[in-house]
Amino acid sequence: MEAAVRIQEYDDPNYDPFSADDINFGDMLDPYPQIAQWRAQAPVLEGDYRPKMGLQSATYPDRKMFTIVGSDEILTVLTDTDRFSNHGYKFNIGETFGHGSISVMDNPEHGRWRKIFQKIFLPQYVKLWGETIVDPVVHKLMNKFVCMGRADLVEQFTLLYPFEVIYRQLDLPASDVRTFQRLAIGQTDYMHIDKAQEASRKLGEYFTALVEERRRNPGEDLVSLLANTEVDGDYLPPLVLISFLRQLMNAAGDTTYRGTSVLLTALLEHPDQLDAIRTDRKLIPFAIEEALRWDGPVAVQLRMAKQDVVLGGMEIPAGSLLDVVAGAANRDPAIFPDPDRFDIFRERKAHFSFSRGPHICVGQHLARVEMTRALHAVLDNLPNLRFDPDKPRPEIRGTMMRVPRHLHVRFGD
Amino acid sequence: MPNLIVTTRDGTEREIAAATGLSLMEAIRDAGVDEMLALCGGCCSCATCHVKVDPAFAGLLPPISEDESDLLDSSDHRDEYSRLSCQIPLTSELDGLRVAIAPED
Repeated sequence: MEAAVRIQEYDDPNYDPFSADDINFGDMLDPYPQIAQWRAQAPVLEGDYRPKMGLQSATYPDRKMFTIVGSDEILTVLTDTDRFSNHGYKFNIGETFGHGSISVMDNPEHGRWRKIFQKIFLPQYVKLWGETIVDPVVHKLMNKFVCMGRADLVEQFTLLYPFEVIYRQLDLPASDVRTFQRLAIGQTDYMHIDKAQEASRKLGEYFTALVEERRRNPGEDLVSLLANTEVDGDYLPPLVLISFLRQLMNAAGDTTYRGTSVLLTALLEHPDQLDAIRTDRKLIPFAIEEALRWDGPVAVQLRMAKQDVVLGGMEIPAGSLLDVVAGAANRDPAIFPDPDRFDIFRERKAHFSFSRGPHICVGQHLARVEMTRALHAVLDNLPNLRFDPDKPRPEIRGTMMRVPRHLHVRFGD
Repeated sequence: MPNLIVTTRDGTEREIAAATGLSLMEAIRDAGVDEMLALCGGCCSCATCHVKVDPAFAGLLPPISEDESDLLDSSDHRDEYSRLSCQIPLTSELDGLRVAIAPED
């Protein structure tokens, strides 16, 4: 790596981006009873989700806000692109990941760039990463605690492995990784927007230099691939390329960490279902989809009304921001009977955790590969896995984003 | 108004009277065939509207784009009759079109 590519720490080295999670995303133990109560009232509620759940409102421009909890209305908002837009994300994601993020765009502009990223993350390609990248990462981490008989599977495993996968995909120098993760996480600290913007600026400078370097000396990594991708004879626009790279840690790392943590927690809470998977690994995909449905990492997505609309009987003026509660559809008893129950044997129906519509998660197939590989490694290496009786049971928490902070387990003996 | 004959995964045949101007995916979905997931809503961004088209109609369909082909490659069930139904606009020429919903991946 040339000296020109230098990663810069925060001006305040004592700033801890990890501790800002609760204030940004909440720490509620179980938001679902409240969501069910709203659904019983009306499919569309006036006001935004955060203050309804006791969180400080996000700092959006002054405009009307609504919370969508009816499944039909959720599906409409996510798929009817004539009436609903992703431009609401300009006020948060756009400010930090950059306005070249495809999450802030609508079609046709969105589709033009999405196609390129989508192709990289097709199932037939990410399957190959399962062996070359994910397995080595997972085994390296697990080898550190496999002979100890006990572990915190969050701190020692799920919180680390999706990020390690990204560092390998990007082929980042090991010496940059710690600062890189601090900057990447800080980008979504919207409650300390100065820090989020500082992180965005410094990551932008880092990636710009890295892209230049990989154009001179391309490797086999994702930065080299994207840096040298051409559209109509030209490189990807810098804004689109840098925004995507900034977003990758959050979109591919943070969500997979949460999803895997929830999956393992749910299976340990239901040992009969974990045993069933031990007996028949073909159940793994069902377990993953059920964990994503039952407590998906991203409970709420944001959209904007493009025009005056009436939705679920509510008049919504053009420009209003809509909190679309995917977690409400995932727990709708009309779609998923006995919805609060975690049951890998339930009738398989599509959940809302990767969203729907044109913005459906571009990394969903990689997330599945990562969770699959992680679960196989757990089954292969941690026999007789159970909660550690001497430690607190895990608690899945979060109002916007869900995760258990610890998962203390024993295994072996 | 083209009529379609759709075979669902359990082998049942359904006749659907579709409005022109829709895509094949929209016509099947709107007829209440809930096997037709079409999670991305019809913009060639997933492969959950995969169908097998009767070869008698192959010559009447628009060609497969590179993007559609890449997505179809992600299915274990792709064969020479495979299409993403969101990429097929219904025209009066396609009256009588027979398709089968592809197995779930």
